[in-house]
Amino acid sequence: MKFRPSPYLSLAPALIVITIMLGASLFYAVLESFGIIRVIGQDTLSLDAYRDVLSGTGAAGSEFWVSLGFSLWVSAASTIISSALALMAAVWLSGQKNQVDTLAVNGHLAFPHLAWATALLLFFSQSGILARWAAALGWIDVPADFPILVRDSFGIGIILHYSIKEIPFLALIVLGVLRAQPIGYDVVAENLGASRWQRLRYVMIPQVMPALFAGALLVFGLIFSSYEVPALLGIGYPRALPVLALRFFLDPDLGARSEGMVISLIITLIVLAVAVVSLKLEERNK
Amino acid sequence: MKYVIRALLYLVLVAPLALFIVYSFTEGWFFPAPFPSEWTTTTFQRAMDDPRTLGGMWQGFVIAVIVSLLSLILAFPAARALGLRQFRGRQIAWLVLFLPTVVPPLAIGMGLNILFLRVGLAGTIMGVSLAHLISTLPYTVFTLSSAFARYDENYEHQALALGASPAQIFFNITLRMMTPSLVVATLFAFLVSWSQYLLTLLIGGGKIITLPVLLFTAASGGNPSTIAIKSLLFILPPALVIAFTARELNRHGNDIREQY
Amino acid sequence: MKKIIYLLVTLSLLLAACASPAQSSSEFDINDWDSVLAAAKGQTVNWYMWGGSDSINAYVDTFYGTALKERYDITLNRVPVADAADYVNQVLSEKEAGVEEGAVDLMWINGENFYTLKQADMLYKDWAQVIPNAKFVNWENPAINLDFGRPVDNMESPWSSAQIQLIYDSARTSEDELPRSYADLKEWACANPGRFTYIAPGPGGFIGTRFAKGALYEISGDAKQWLSFDQTLWDSQSPALWDYFNEIKPCLWREGEVYPKDEAELVTLFSNNEVDFSMTQDITGAGRWIIDGRMPETARAFVFDNYMIGDFNYVAIPVNSPHKAAALVLANLLLEPEFQAAQILPENGFGLGFAIDVTRVTDPAQVALLEESASKLGESATPADEMAKALAGDTAAEYQSLVEQDWLKFVLQQ
Repeated sequence: MKFRPSPYLSLAPALIVITIMLGASLFYAVLESFGIIRVIGQDTLSLDAYRDVLSGTGAAGSEFWVSLGFSLWVSAASTIISSALALMAAVWLSGQKNQVDTLAVNGHLAFPHLAWATALLLFFSQSGILARWAAALGWIDVPADFPILVRDSFGIGIILHYSIKEIPFLALIVLGVLRAQPIGYDVVAENLGASRWQRLRYVMIPQVMPALFAGALLVFGLIFSSYEVPALLGIGYPRALPVLALRFFLDPDLGARSEGMVISLIITLIVLAVAVVSLKLEERNK
Repeated sequence: MKYVIRALLYLVLVAPLALFIVYSFTEGWFFPAPFPSEWTTTTFQRAMDDPRTLGGMWQGFVIAVIVSLLSLILAFPAARALGLRQFRGRQIAWLVLFLPTVVPPLAIGMGLNILFLRVGLAGTIMGVSLAHLISTLPYTVFTLSSAFARYDENYEHQALALGASPAQIFFNITLRMMTPSLVVATLFAFLVSWSQYLLTLLIGGGKIITLPVLLFTAASGGNPSTIAIKSLLFILPPALVIAFTARELNRHGNDIREQY
Repeated sequence: MKKIIYLLVTLSLLLAACASPAQSSSEFDINDWDSVLAAAKGQTVNWYMWGGSDSINAYVDTFYGTALKERYDITLNRVPVADAADYVNQVLSEKEAGVEEGAVDLMWINGENFYTLKQADMLYKDWAQVIPNAKFVNWENPAINLDFGRPVDNMESPWSSAQIQLIYDSARTSEDELPRSYADLKEWACANPGRFTYIAPGPGGFIGTRFAKGALYEISGDAKQWLSFDQTLWDSQSPALWDYFNEIKPCLWREGEVYPKDEAELVTLFSNNEVDFSMTQDITGAGRWIIDGRMPETARAFVFDNYMIGDFNYVAIPVNSPHKAAALVLANLLLEPEFQAAQILPENGFGLGFAIDVTRVTDPAQVALLEESASKLGESATPADEMAKALAGDTAAEYQSLVEQDWLKFVLQQ
């Protein structure tokens, strides 16, 4: 049929663009991770950087495993919290005739991460706006009395950031599915005497789960590989993997770039592994 | 309960905005003063007098529009194939399109800059736009393909049987039914491009300066007033785009709902 | 439809690929300054520099931008960047891609970036001591001909000088209770728990590294021995340094679990009454911070009696700069006595000190101008005699990364 082109042809433009650009980048990253740094004339293949990072010996290695744990914790916690909140928000919004609240949720998307993180810092730091108000009310005397909510050892500030910041993206995905579903299902279930909770549990959630799951995966990948927010809201030790990677990447000694690239590639592999495993799990559940 | 949710929702939306507005026009506001006492327009004036500020907004906007268009053109056929067809290699195609979201921008940007420097794309609007595609395409493909997965091709078949031309079918049926998702996909592409920092910095090489680059520079100096002004300017265009698309989105969303 | 899309995409790719080639640099002979000026006429100089300070940005645009245009018909394009490492990276990538006409003409760098670029052989050579105003610079001074301990080798030209100092708020702390040595500081910190912290040593936190080196000087009792690298000396003395930092740790802000990563963060803590001291390298002390509205007007700078490391900072030209002539003219302009006098005035917002040796200036009017500026540093600056008395030189280069890495290992990660 005329308007049924081969799927390969339809996919070709997008795949070609991504493959060329990503391919060139990854090729370069892999070369550097193997110690081939041509700007300083270093062109022998070596596994030193991998050994340094993974064995826990080198400068990067001494922090690597701690950072890995920290990043996994922060990304997983943020993804789970934001998914749950997004689901609640979407269900709440889908029941509304008025679109103003949906608009407001959309509005959150307008805040870039950096601006949002800055706002969090200004509000929640020990001498931030909330602390100033607390002091004015006589609840605290000095900044040190205020609880540590950002730049803390457990990544609470980072989790707080992402848990709120990723809600709109996920909620809109869920909302898209809910809105596109025929109202019928819900009405039928209601007529059959299903309670509100039952309708949610047996009608709505199964419908939105695949989309929410895929969205959550994107969110996990984004959080796990992003630098700005953990750099701003995190601390020096333990620090997130991308922060550690950049530290070595920008080391005055160009040889340290290999370690930075190794960590970047490990980040890539981990998110890929998480994605593949979760997709397989999801397939089995179907 | 509903009121609590709603209050929180608007608080989260309004509080940072209010904070940025207040900080834009104040200086010397330190703990423990609960409210600022010194008001000034100097910092604001300085930001607006700097040609880089408005220039950066304009460049960022042009790039985001180019990126949105290119993403749609590339993602539309791809998403249709992924959403509607079963074929060998489908999983691999998914994986390749998903890959950009898992590679840290740093690892992408370095190699890409060297490639673009070789072919003369580095430091150009087009080069930066192409680089942004890497991070926007996964979002657009993802949004459109999940819409196509629920798309009923029978409408097209019926139109064909009634003698419509492929162009008529495309514009009157496919595009129409896909409009809400297209709007969302464009929105995501625009937002991701508009707030992209690292790729703009690396590929732009200082020749292309957008608002995120200016915001990061301001952040490195730690002056809350400067950061606040740049943040406000940063939020403004996406907020307008969202206000516009959300209305579209809701209208079309209701249209679709009524069809059933 | 598909074909049209393909066509569009290919076309746009092609169009973008045919970006116009950059203009070629005109010929000049660096020993004939008139030929440099002639070649520079009409050029735009792309000056990449850290852009996080509004007042420094404004100073650069108003003072140098105007003078370049009026006197030499050169347009100044200041490119603000968040971190000097970013443009170092750009230059390195250009080298790897074989780009002969790069984006950067002049860059403001510190010793770490300088070392990186030198390592990659990406610096334009044999110019810094040749430009006319190099005659005002005391190139015999090791603080000038070494940058973070590495030989400058005629590849970068100084812009200004700096010296580490501490800042206190005279409304909160009285002058006579200020610590005047690292030993004092430890006592002070433990008498006022949680009220002191220092910048984490590391790339980007070089003031913190410098602070740690000062402690090393005091604990080992001598600054001079660190001028050349000696591993056994390091191995014997450094444990005492880490002992010092570990002993002070429980008395620090947030018990030394977290440290500010750069000057800007420490300033925020200081001004919001989280800690009682900040640090700076500005000759004007707290002056620039007060002008920027970042510190209260009662902020004052002070030094210990000894071991306050001072040095110079520089501009360099990448080897693939397309406008070297204009970059040379700008580097030369920075050393002009008139602008050297302007840069140290607190109200002009730059805040760093002279790069030139005032005794080498012969023109009486210029001497008067420089002396007048030097007398107007204001009360938020440390008195010049105290600064001079406490001045110490930087260590040999190898200690830089040793201090940074071992601090991570033996202090932060403990």
